[in-house]
Amino acid sequence: MIPPPEINWFALLPLLVLGLGAAAVLLVDVQMKPHPKWLVRMAAAVLLATAAGALLQGWWLRRLEAGETVGTPLPFSGFLIVDRYAIFGTLLLAAIALLGLGAGQRFIVSLGRRAAEAIALVLLSTSGFMLMLSTPQLVMMFLGLEIGSISLYVVAGFSRQERQSEEAAIKYFLLGSFASAIFIYGVALVYAATGSLQLFEQQELLSRVAFVKPGVLLIGLALLIVGLAFKVTAAPFHGWAPDVYQGAPAGMVGFMAAAAKVGGFAALARILATAFEGYIETWATVVAGIAVLSMIVGSFLAVVQSDFRRLLAYSGVAHAGFILTGIVAGEAGIGSIWFYLAVYTVQLVGAYAVVAAVSGASSAGSPLASYAGLAKRQPMLAHALTVLLLGMAGIPLTSGFIAKFGVFQDAFRAGFGWLVVVALLASVVSFFIYLRVIVTMYMEEPLEDRVLVLTVPLRLVLWTTLAMTVVFGLFPVPLLRLTAISLPL
Amino acid sequence: MLTALILLPAIGAVLIALVPGRRRELFLPLGVTMSIGPLALAAFVFTSFVTGEPGFQMVEREVWYEPWGLSWYLGIDGISLPLVALTALLVPIVLAASTAITHRLKEFVMYTLLLEAGLIGVFLALDLFLFFVFFEAILIPMYFIIGIWGGERRIYAAIKFFLYTAFGSALMLAAIIGLAVLSSRQTGVPSFAYTDLLDVSLNPTTARWLFGAFALAFAIKVPMFPLHTWLPDAHVEAPTAGSVLLAAVLLKLGTYGLVRFNLGLFPQASVDFVPVMAVLAVIGIVYGAVVAIVQPDLKKLVAYSSVSHLGFIVLGTFALTSGGLVGGLVQNINHGITTGALFLLVGMIYDRRHTKKIADFGGLAQVMPIFAGLFLFTTFASIGLPGLNGFIGEFMVLIGSFPSLPIYTIIAASGVVLAAIYLLWAYERAFTGVPDKPENQALLDLNLREKLVLAPLVILMLLLGLYPKVLLDRVQPSAEAILDRIEATTNYVVPEPGRLEHVLLMEEGE
Repeated sequence: MIPPPEINWFALLPLLVLGLGAAAVLLVDVQMKPHPKWLVRMAAAVLLATAAGALLQGWWLRRLEAGETVGTPLPFSGFLIVDRYAIFGTLLLAAIALLGLGAGQRFIVSLGRRAAEAIALVLLSTSGFMLMLSTPQLVMMFLGLEIGSISLYVVAGFSRQERQSEEAAIKYFLLGSFASAIFIYGVALVYAATGSLQLFEQQELLSRVAFVKPGVLLIGLALLIVGLAFKVTAAPFHGWAPDVYQGAPAGMVGFMAAAAKVGGFAALARILATAFEGYIETWATVVAGIAVLSMIVGSFLAVVQSDFRRLLAYSGVAHAGFILTGIVAGEAGIGSIWFYLAVYTVQLVGAYAVVAAVSGASSAGSPLASYAGLAKRQPMLAHALTVLLLGMAGIPLTSGFIAKFGVFQDAFRAGFGWLVVVALLASVVSFFIYLRVIVTMYMEEPLEDRVLVLTVPLRLVLWTTLAMTVVFGLFPVPLLRLTAISLPL
Repeated sequence: MLTALILLPAIGAVLIALVPGRRRELFLPLGVTMSIGPLALAAFVFTSFVTGEPGFQMVEREVWYEPWGLSWYLGIDGISLPLVALTALLVPIVLAASTAITHRLKEFVMYTLLLEAGLIGVFLALDLFLFFVFFEAILIPMYFIIGIWGGERRIYAAIKFFLYTAFGSALMLAAIIGLAVLSSRQTGVPSFAYTDLLDVSLNPTTARWLFGAFALAFAIKVPMFPLHTWLPDAHVEAPTAGSVLLAAVLLKLGTYGLVRFNLGLFPQASVDFVPVMAVLAVIGIVYGAVVAIVQPDLKKLVAYSSVSHLGFIVLGTFALTSGGLVGGLVQNINHGITTGALFLLVGMIYDRRHTKKIADFGGLAQVMPIFAGLFLFTTFASIGLPGLNGFIGEFMVLIGSFPSLPIYTIIAASGVVLAAIYLLWAYERAFTGVPDKPENQALLDLNLREKLVLAPLVILMLLLGLYPKVLLDRVQPSAEAILDRIEATTNYVVPEPGRLEHVLLMEEGE
C-alpha cells in the first residue's frame, strides 16, 4: 500500500508564496485596477516573502539536522528536496527577480493595464526555476524548466509593437521547446536505463551496478547535458541568445538571462554531481569540451559585436564556459559555481539595467554607439557599468575575480590544468570586449544629448549590484563560506 | 605597519573622493599631503629595517580564507625594501609635478594614490594570491591614467598596455594556481604563501613550465625584447606622472618578480634558463640603445633607453652571481631615480612647448640654464658617470656578470657606450647651440616648485653615487640568500669571483 503523502509545508513554502503571489497580483489588478507601480511593489513584497520562506526552510533544516524535529529532507515521496543547495538557489533567484523587477519597473509601468501579466509572468518564471533546483526528480525538474521557460518566452515578446521583440519571442519559443524536448528525451532514456526518475535512486543503482553496455544511459546523459547547455547558452547551443536578448524588452532581459542561467546550471550541477557522480570521468571530458567551445566562441564573437546587448549575450556564452569549468570538478566545484553564479547573474542584471536606462525600457537593440560619451551624459550610469564590466572581466578587487579564481582552482585540482589555461587566455580576450565599452563611454564624444532619466528603483538596482561587485571583491569570505556549505544532499 | 603602508594611500584616495569636485585647486595639494603619510611611514620602515638580516621582516600574517589557503601575508626584505621606498618617494613628486593636468583632476589624484597602494602591495605581498591581486589591480588605475590624460593615441596605448600585461599575468595565474595545487597535494594543506611554496618539490619539466609562465609575465612587464613593443607607446602617450611611475616602478615589478619568484621558487629551472634570459637581455641592451639613438622624440628616446637599461638588470640577475644580482637590484633603484627624473624633465619642457620632438628644440641651455644643467646632470647619472648613482649599478652588473657570462658581458658593455651616444647626442641637439627658433627664445627657466620636485631625486643621485652602502647593506643579504638557496638545491656553483666581497675588493682596488 502506498502511504499517504505527508505534507511538508516548509518544503513548499517558497513555491507556494510565489505561485499564490502571482495569482494575487492578477486578481488585485482585475478587482482594484491600481496603478502598475503598486503591482510592482506588491511583487517585490511577494519576492521578499519568498526569500523569508527560504530562510525558514533553512531554519527547519537546521533543526532537522540537530534532531529537534522529525521529517525528511526529501518530502512528497522524494519529489521535492530541502537542502542547502536548494535554499541558496531559491534565495539567489528571489534576489535576481527582485533586481530584475527594479530594472524593468519603467517598462512594466509603461505597459499600463498589461503590467499585471508581465509581473505575474516574472513571478511564475521564478517559481519554475526554483522548482527546477529544489527537486531531485527528473520529471519535476522538467516541469520547473517548462514553467520557467514558457513564462520567459512570453516575456520576450511583450513589446508587441516591436518587430524584433516578436521575432525574439518566436525564436526563443521554437528553439527553447526544441531544447526542452531534448531534455525530456534524455530523461526518458535515463529512466529506460536505470528504471528510476529520482536522482538518489539512480545514484544508488549506478553505484551498485556497472553497466556492460552503458549506451542508453550515456546517450540519455548526453541529451540532459545538451538540453541544459541550451538553457544556459553554452556553445554550440547558444545561437538563439544574441537574437533573443537583443529583441526582448530591455527592462526584462537581465532577469530573463540571469534566471535561466541559475536554473539551468543548478539543475545541471545537481544531476551531474549526484546521480552521475560515478561517471565523472565520462562526462567531465564532454563538459570540458563544451566549456572550451563556449569560452572561445563567446569571447571572440563578442569582440566583433556592434550592439551592446548582443555583446553581453556573447559574453554570457563565455561566462557559461567559465562556469562549466567549475562543473568539471564535480561536487568539489559546487561552492565555486554558486559563488560564480551569484556574482555574475547579479552583474548581468545590473548591466542590463543600464541598457534599459540608456536605450529606453521597451526598445529592441542598443547599438554600442549610443553609449558613446555616456560618462558625460550620465556619469552615474557610466561609473556603474564600468564597475560591472570590470567585475565581469574578472579584474581583481571585484567579485568577478574571486569567482573566476574559485572555479579555475577547482578545475585545476580536478586535473584540468589545460582547461584553466584556455579559460585564462579566453578571459584576456574578453578583457578587450569590456575595455572597448569602457573606452566608448569615457573616451568618446556623445552622439546624442537626450537626458537619461533614472527612476528610483533603477538607481537602487544599480547601487545594489555595484556594491555587491565591490564588496564581494574586497570581502568575499562571508559569501565564500555560505556558498561552500550550499551543497546538495 | 606594512598593512598601514598599503592602506594609507587607499584611504587618501577615498578621502579625496569625498571632497566636492568644484574645489579643483585643492586636489593636487591634498594629494601631495595624502602621499606624504606613506612616505613618512616608508622612511620609518627603511630606517628601522635591520640590516644584515636576509629574511623577511615586519611580517604580518592573518588567515583570510583557509579552505583555499589564502592569507593576508606581508613582509619586507632587502629586495623589496628599496622599491617600496622608491614608490613612496615618487608619488608625492609626480603629484606635485602634475600641474599641467587640468581636467578631471580629482580622479587623476585618486587613481595615482590607488596606483601607489597597489604598487606597495605588490612588493609587500608574500601570499601569491595577494601578489596577483595587486599585480593585476594596478592595471586599472594605470589604464585610466594613460587612457584619460594621455596624448593623442592614448586609447590605443592604454589598451595595448592593458592587454599585453593581462596576457602575461593570465598565464602566471595559471602557474600560481598550479603551484598551489601541487603544494596542497604534497602537504595536504592548501596555501598560497610564498614561504610554503618554496618547499614544493617539482619535477624538472613542471618546474620549467611554471618558470616559463612566471617569466613570460615578468618579461612583458620589464619589458624584455621582443615583448617590449607596448612600452614606447605607453610612455609616449602617458602623462608625465604616468610615465614616471611606469618607468620607475611598474617596470621594476618585472625585475622584482624575476628575482623573487623565478629565482626564488624555481632554482633549477633558473639555472637551466640562464642562456635564454641572458641572450634576450643582451639583445634588449643593444637593440634598445641602437633604437634610442634614432628616436626623434625625447620621450620615446627615454623609453627605449629603459629597454636597454633594464636589459642590464636582467643580465645581472641571471648571471647568478652576487655581484650581478645585487648590482641588478641596485640598478633597479638607480634607474627608477634617473629615468623618473628624465621623464619629469621632459614633462617640464613639454608643458612649456607642447612638443617632445628633439628637432623642435635647440639652444635651450642659453634660455633655461638651470633646466639644462639638471638635464645634463641626470643624463650623466643615466649614462653611469662615476660618482653618480648609475655607475654603481651598471658597474656591479658588468663586473658581477663577467665570471659567469663573459661573452654576454662584453657585448652588454657596448650598451654603456651607446647610452652615452644617444643621451649626449640628444642633449647636444636640444640644448647646445643658439636658440634659433623664436618659440624657444621666450621660455622661462624652472620655477621654485619644479626645482623642489627635482631636488630629492638629484640629491639621491649624488648620495647613492657616493655612498651606495645605504642600499648595498640592505640589499646584499637578501640577494645572497637567494643565491645560497640556488646553490643548496641545485648543483650550480657560483663561479669565483662571484661573491660580492670579491667585487667590492676589486672596486676599492681601482
